Amino acid sequence: QGSKLEIPMWLAKGLHDSKRRIISVELPKIYKEAWRTVFSADANVVDLHKMGPYYYGFGSQLLNFDNPENPEIAQTILQASTFISRFRRIMDSSQNAYNEDTSALVARLDELERALFRAGQKGLNDFQCWEKGQASQITASSLVQNYGKRKFTEMDG
Amino acid sequence: GDLGPFNPGLPVEVPVWLAISLKQRQKCRLIPPAWMDVEKLEEIRDQERKEDTFTPMPSPYYMELTKLLLNYASDNIPKADEIRTLVKDTWDTRMAKLRLSADSFVRQQEAHAKLDNLTLMEINTIGAFLTQALDHMYKLRANLQPGGSAPSQDF
Repeated sequence: QGSKLEIPMWLAKGLHDSKRRIISVELPKIYKEAWRTVFSADANVVDLHKMGPYYYGFGSQLLNFDNPENPEIAQTILQASTFISRFRRIMDSSQNAYNEDTSALVARLDELERALFRAGQKGLNDFQCWEKGQASQITASSLVQNYGKRKFTEMDG
Repeated sequence: GDLGPFNPGLPVEVPVWLAISLKQRQKCRLIPPAWMDVEKLEEIRDQERKEDTFTPMPSPYYMELTKLLLNYASDNIPKADEIRTLVKDTWDTRMAKLRLSADSFVRQQEAHAKLDNLTLMEINTIGAFLTQALDHMYKLRANLQPGGSAPSQDF
């Protein structure tokens, strides 16, 4: 009782009960007010990967625990402070062929943003592939290529 | 199979795939569509740059047709290189406008948007990205409802 422990999120959720107060959760600092102010100043500079690569997902899970700061946290995660303000850069750099080095930007994205970035890149890559005429080239599936090799050795042995 | 009859010297309309096929077999000359012309395309490009909305394109397949005709029949198309550049410029302008639109849609957290005069090519290039982003936004918005959404594990 009264001691502080680090436990996994799934365990904390299981133990949590707003009526019985078995545990109370302390917010990781990136969700606290000081950091929230940084986000509202300029969310784009923050290295979300370093601060906890599942910022959005974890933050959303945190809202399960009755914390008086929850509305502010939810707003920050979503709002002009974070997802929305970082959205533009992710979109522009993933969809633009002229962007030389995106690795610096991607390094600062959390996992959710990285998945989004990859979706944007894929859209661009598919377009470029079509433009080069590669879309109409038939290539052997990698499964079939291996199959051919095995069959040959079966005939030998 | 059998094709025809075609009368030599008389222009005839055929499906694009057939035109390309005949052209590859050197059996015909292709006539580009009326809009595939430097002046017309300059007009379109300029309008695209000037307006905030999307210009109605002369064909919903302007990208596809340009690519096909310039690849297989550039000898039948006057000023082919200029045409290629003009179409690419127009495409770039339209895509930039689309991203601008997407960004303001996300910022204002709108529920609906209506964009006229987009072609499928443009929609498909940005589509997967945009739908995924909006999906995330939807889930994050659900966070704002107190005790509303059941906590989801699928982040």
